[in-house]
Amino acid sequence: MPQRVYDPKGLVDVLTKQLARRLENLDGLRLAVLDNTKWNAAKLLDSVVVLLSEKIRFSQINRYKKETFTKPAAPELIRDIAANNDIALIAIAD
Amino acid sequence: MSQTAVAPFHSNDERTELWVDDEVDLSEWYLSQPWADGLPVVPPTPEKVAAMVSALGGEPQFVECKIPPRWGSLTREVLAINLVLAGCKVEYAPVVRAALLAMTEPQFNLNALQASTHMAAPLLVVNGPVRKAIGMNAGCNVFGSGNRANATIGRALRLVMLSVGGGIPGELDKATLGHPGKYTYCIAENEEGSPWAPYHVDRGFAPEESTVFVIAAESPHSVTNHVANDPQGILDSVASAMSTIAHNTAVAGGPCAIVMGVEHAKMIAAEGWTRSDVRNYLWMYSGNTFDELSFGHRYGKVYNRNLPRWCRRTPDSRIPIVARPEDLHLFVVGGAAGRFSAFIPGWGNYAVPVIRPIDTSKAAPDAPSCVDGTCTL
Repeated sequence: MPQRVYDPKGLVDVLTKQLARRLENLDGLRLAVLDNTKWNAAKLLDSVVVLLSEKIRFSQINRYKKETFTKPAAPELIRDIAANNDIALIAIAD
Repeated sequence: MSQTAVAPFHSNDERTELWVDDEVDLSEWYLSQPWADGLPVVPPTPEKVAAMVSALGGEPQFVECKIPPRWGSLTREVLAINLVLAGCKVEYAPVVRAALLAMTEPQFNLNALQASTHMAAPLLVVNGPVRKAIGMNAGCNVFGSGNRANATIGRALRLVMLSVGGGIPGELDKATLGHPGKYTYCIAENEEGSPWAPYHVDRGFAPEESTVFVIAAESPHSVTNHVANDPQGILDSVASAMSTIAHNTAVAGGPCAIVMGVEHAKMIAAEGWTRSDVRNYLWMYSGNTFDELSFGHRYGKVYNRNLPRWCRRTPDSRIPIVARPEDLHLFVVGGAAGRFSAFIPGWGNYAVPVIRPIDTSKAAPDAPSCVDGTCTL
């Protein structure tokens, strides 16, 4: 006789989101660089910007900083980045 | 072994049931699930789950909160299943629920704690009459082992964090080391043995109220002092345990806990010292020099740009362990004999501990409120 088992995980309400359109040419774009304030995050990001800038001519490079690396960026920071830039460079690390 | 395809439960729909063949060993089946904590569970039955739902106030599809980082909905039925799996009695249910509601308040930052590479785990401290009513241990071996209430309440929290929250080691839980408190980490304050008013009374609750307090915590660091019989001598040992560069409170600030053994607490209180005196002394006389914390600039000029700007960056400047005495959460715990206390470092200034009353009535909580994606209902 079959035995009943229980799933303790519960449901997740899923919001379907679309990915932003991928760009083919990055020349002339405004680049946002978001520092998550982790130790050495700024050094890593600055080095990546130098390497990218050897191949891509960004029209602007705008630097931003999160309040803490333990939480998502504040909604107003994300809005600011989206309104004033075309692409964003972020890093997740420890 | 064959198994019916798993389908999720649906709120407001008829529950989807899961079945396995009769020759399946249920203990082994549950142990093989990705959310398992490595210990055997109590297989739920319809009667056990129904009893837990009743203890929570009925309404099995009522969503108490959502558990990050998976953001699974913790319905009363899902909570009941986890309570049974953990080995809880029905009378533990309101305590576990209160603790989960506290942990999902935005300031506790459970989302980040679940994913952190640091070892911290939620430490639950219970105050008030509920401790005795449900048979918790506040005395000898308060941190374990041997008490069902302490063990299974703490375990239920972890099972929810694993299953509903998805904080599975190696997947979303990236802790490098973990610590034994990630199996269970739940104590009661020894209010009867304490020379001071209970912690929750110090925080403004009435003695007859029961509360849960949750803090993200490392494991306890024993403070042994069998020599001193005065406040300064005892507390200098505690301050010594605090004053290392190694634990996360020294590196990242934030709150921490001091658990004071009964003998130590009574000796300190006999000199007229209050809880506040103890916190102030420890805040003032613990710390590291900037030179120690920065490794003498051996690894570069800039040390830890997250150190508060009001800390002087000269070599012999004292950097306090906690920014203010209120960040030291003091409890009296443990057996009547033994001159031991413990320092419990926290996780950092990333989270604020939460104290919350336990709702032991069966009335449904207030209307939902959602902040930062966490909904407490």
